Amino acid sequence: MKEKLLKLKEEIISKLAEVKDSKNLKDLEEKYFSRKSEFNDILKNIKDLNDDLKKEFGQLANNVKLELFKSLSEIKSKIENKENPKGDVDPTLPADKAEFGHLHPITQIRNEIESLFSSMGFMVLDGPELESDYYNFTALNFAPHHPAREMQDTFFVDIKNKDNQYDMVMRTHTSPVQIRAMKKYGAPLSAIMPGRCFRNEATDARHEHTFYQVEGIMIGENISFAHLKGVLELVGKKLYGKNTKLRMRPKYYPFVEPGSNGEYTCFLCAGKGCRVCKHTGWLEILGCGMIHPEVLKNGGIDSEKYSGFAFGFGLDRLVMLKYNIDDTRLFNSGDLRFLKQF
Amino acid sequence: MNISLNWIKEFVNLSGLKVEDIKNKLTAHTVEVEQIIQQGDRFKNVVVAKILDVSKHPKADKLQIAIVDIGQEESLKIVCGAPNISTGQLVPLAMVGAILPNGLEIKKAEIRGEQSFGMLCAEDELGLGKDHAGIMILDKQAKVGQNFAEYLNLNDIVLEIDNKSISNRPDLWGHYGISRELAVLFDLKLKKYESKELKIKKQKEDIKNIEVEIKAKKLCSKYLALKIDNIKIEDSPDWLKEKLLAIGVKSINNIVDATNYVMFELGQPLHAFDSDAVDKIIVRMAEKNEKIITLDDNEKKLEENDLIIASSKEAIAVAGVIGGKNSEINNTSNSIIIESANFDAVSVRKTAQRLNSRTDAAMRFEKGLDPNLCLLAINKVAEIIKKLCPKAIFDFPIISVDNLNDKERIIELDLLWAEKIIGQKIESKEIKRILESLGLIIKEKSKNILDINIPSWRLKDLLIKEDIIEEIIRIFGYNNIVPILPKTEIIPPEKDYEMEMEGEIKNILSLGYKFSEIYNYSFVSEDQLLKLDLDPKNYIKLLNPLSSQHTLLRQTLSTNLLSNIKSNQAKYENINIFEIGNIFLNIAGGPNKDNDSSDSLPYQEKKLAIALAKDKKESFRGLKNVVFNAVYELSNGLELEFLPTESIISWADKKEKCLLILEGKEIGFLAKIDEVIAGKNGIKKETAICEIDFKNLLNIISKFGKKEYESLAKFPSINRDLAFVIDKKILFNDIKKEIKGFHDLITEVDLFDVYSGQNLEADKKSMAFHINYHSKEKTLTNEEVDVIQNNLIKKMEEKFGSKVRDF
Repeated sequence: MKEKLLKLKEEIISKLAEVKDSKNLKDLEEKYFSRKSEFNDILKNIKDLNDDLKKEFGQLANNVKLELFKSLSEIKSKIENKENPKGDVDPTLPADKAEFGHLHPITQIRNEIESLFSSMGFMVLDGPELESDYYNFTALNFAPHHPAREMQDTFFVDIKNKDNQYDMVMRTHTSPVQIRAMKKYGAPLSAIMPGRCFRNEATDARHEHTFYQVEGIMIGENISFAHLKGVLELVGKKLYGKNTKLRMRPKYYPFVEPGSNGEYTCFLCAGKGCRVCKHTGWLEILGCGMIHPEVLKNGGIDSEKYSGFAFGFGLDRLVMLKYNIDDTRLFNSGDLRFLKQF
Repeated sequence: MNISLNWIKEFVNLSGLKVEDIKNKLTAHTVEVEQIIQQGDRFKNVVVAKILDVSKHPKADKLQIAIVDIGQEESLKIVCGAPNISTGQLVPLAMVGAILPNGLEIKKAEIRGEQSFGMLCAEDELGLGKDHAGIMILDKQAKVGQNFAEYLNLNDIVLEIDNKSISNRPDLWGHYGISRELAVLFDLKLKKYESKELKIKKQKEDIKNIEVEIKAKKLCSKYLALKIDNIKIEDSPDWLKEKLLAIGVKSINNIVDATNYVMFELGQPLHAFDSDAVDKIIVRMAEKNEKIITLDDNEKKLEENDLIIASSKEAIAVAGVIGGKNSEINNTSNSIIIESANFDAVSVRKTAQRLNSRTDAAMRFEKGLDPNLCLLAINKVAEIIKKLCPKAIFDFPIISVDNLNDKERIIELDLLWAEKIIGQKIESKEIKRILESLGLIIKEKSKNILDINIPSWRLKDLLIKEDIIEEIIRIFGYNNIVPILPKTEIIPPEKDYEMEMEGEIKNILSLGYKFSEIYNYSFVSEDQLLKLDLDPKNYIKLLNPLSSQHTLLRQTLSTNLLSNIKSNQAKYENINIFEIGNIFLNIAGGPNKDNDSSDSLPYQEKKLAIALAKDKKESFRGLKNVVFNAVYELSNGLELEFLPTESIISWADKKEKCLLILEGKEIGFLAKIDEVIAGKNGIKKETAICEIDFKNLLNIISKFGKKEYESLAKFPSINRDLAFVIDKKILFNDIKKEIKGFHDLITEVDLFDVYSGQNLEADKKSMAFHINYHSKEKTLTNEEVDVIQNNLIKKMEEKFGSKVRDF
């Protein structure tokens, strides 16, 4: 049996060497490697041998089997390569596209900002969009006849109060939430307040009557202007990279004193000057300042004991800068061609 | 506002300073300088040309053809309409590419068949005067080819200042105010403002001075009037024209120019009346329906809250805004009255706004001017007029009517407190230098305590000690303050549950269910509502809407989502969108209106709306799947139920609509849009929308949606499939409830097939359930389950008349 096996092995190997094409190979496979083949019969008979022989012959048979299969597969791949040199796989065929849902780009930037400030210990708070004249203006130290209170700047709603006056507006900024937060939580207080705001302003590519802001405040016993700078500088570095610088200059807002505007190094040109930063190297992003004592007072906080800073910026603007979007109306357009890009 | 550096130089010595530095310093410390205008740029491509030849235009009688030399090899051919040109003249030529002050861009042109390479200019075309009689003829000093700005000696540099950045600084609305800031910023000496007091010889007794009466005392705190006789109205001298031209102000005549000059220098507007039209000056409120024709030839209808200047007969000026045509000085005016007054800021602003007349004067008055400027300004203008009209007779003293109760203001500043608020020590010597150079008067009250006396021109904006801090650090430089991170106790921020869950559901819907988030306007239109059979009556209206598209405050999110379906349907096969936003109801119950009263804002709440539109008709079911699973995930396993109802939103389909019930409470609705209504609204896809009260949903989740570990089953359960043939009208909800509640050992009931049709009667359906039996105490036997199941089948037959279906 041993001889028979070895002879068969020689025969198979010599036949394999003669194989020319795949048809040839297939016939050979059928003849020598199928279940009904002579080779298989020999293997099947091993089980009838006594234990010693079984062990000895079994090992041999196994080695022969491995050797034969190795040769078979070598020949097989040789022939395949010859007949079909590149194979029939086109790896450049497109992948199946999956459908995705998309968060609004403003939601995305808002999430980014919220998690940044949360990590610094700021609460995230919400407030009403239809707001009273008191919280939107009076409590924020707007003079009774401040121009912002007029119809051409602010949406009023057509409901009169007891004194026959229109005293409700679509909030023009997120700042009224400052007062509501102070009233609710007292000092010390660190919070940001993102949300939707409204201005009675004709819309075009650069102006929207509905827009989005984030407001932030930090109130404590020793909060200073230097702290305002420290926090805003940090925010700039987190948003736009560690080389980002903060530049400030005086700007008037009724609810802060001193008041300031804040610019960050343009992230597109790293301060060299480009179209987006109007060749100044700086991007005007922030309004900020020390919270006016009158505002603290209206929030029920003792302005002699506590001080605080406030800042705000437009989420629309951040997104527009980030993605180079040229039309602010797209945000509220509901146009999926726009939204599905984010 | 334009600021001329040549003008500034009369008050501070700027020599050695770079204009870029001036711009940057002003911007960093005081006001935003938008740009630097080199005055010569005004006349780019305008040159001095010499006329070599003039001939008639062959095809037009009124036109001539001039050949001019501009100092280059080739001469130019120019077609010209003015009759006053002749050979040898020197004239201003706007070459191709020049943009004239009126905005006209010069291009190569063909005029009646003749080429023309530029335009010879008249005075008015160059913005230099009113003369349009003919081409401006230049004097002999002009050099051929010379830049016209150079010829005019325009070497000034002008800073354009953003008006918005000085809205709270009335003192900066003139050259002297800006000079004061520059002196502080560059540590230079500011020249004292010279204004000689007008000296009058003894008043003649036979002629009467003008009489001034202020009726509206609250709105006019000061009124000075000066009558000047024997005036000759003529063109201003060049120095005055040039000064005004530099800041972009057109010269009108000597008197008007003199008043403008003082306004742009001091910030105090002045007005000149023709005495003939003014028998008396009355400062009063306009009467109802009173009218005035203003200097710009417009008839303005006045209202009772407009402050005006009137003679005994009629209105002669809108106070602080614009003069009247009836009292305008003209070329024959001989006697004039100069007004230098202080009007109420708010009143001027409102009137100017309503009359759409925001003049230079109005812009200044509306900031709230220093009343002390009135006298300074009127003395100054008198001095100038004396110079311009040497024969003018000043027989009358200045009439001054004063309703001012001006108080001085002293602000106490604790230097230690200042250091704390600034977060950095600024030397007290430096603090004093800054404040004193701004004109504040400092008295040291005690160690570290300063008493600061505010000058009249800063009374409007320096009110409290924080204002003083701003003055100190803005001059010191915001950018010179060293940033410090606050040291605070570590307190993890309190989380707002609603906002957190809002983030969560957005993620579930977008990442999990592939829906895209939409932001729609908070407004809807009446038309939009009517088309959806919604009643606009109870919607809150905007008092001052921008457009008819946005007039009402939305009460559901679905209104605008339906519009989104329409606007996107041509581009997408399936539309999966959602929005989370506020709605506004015209009922009380919102947050409080102020700190004290119990008045509340209208009720506002956050809604979650999801819309699904498909070409294939499965939107209702598809959306049910989405909302069920999204709520299941958000709530840690609460199962939404769908309750049929008649009364639901107006646009809902007759059948495919239901309320959404969670733990027995209604939280919203889900409906397909009715086909007819969809057609009316141009919606072509089958669309379903659900809308959920977000707060309600969260209340239920926070109460019931708590995840708790359930110990793994110790004993196997037995699963039986059972199909009931049952009347079509009987609802799944009721059947399921019946099965589930039938026995304690029935733990789960899942519908896996609904069938009607072949082999069933027409009014019957088959509903197949997986029913799971499980006991926590033992392994159930088949026999036990058989007993329960047989009883269940019997009960179902009794209750619903159902039969078990054999497969």
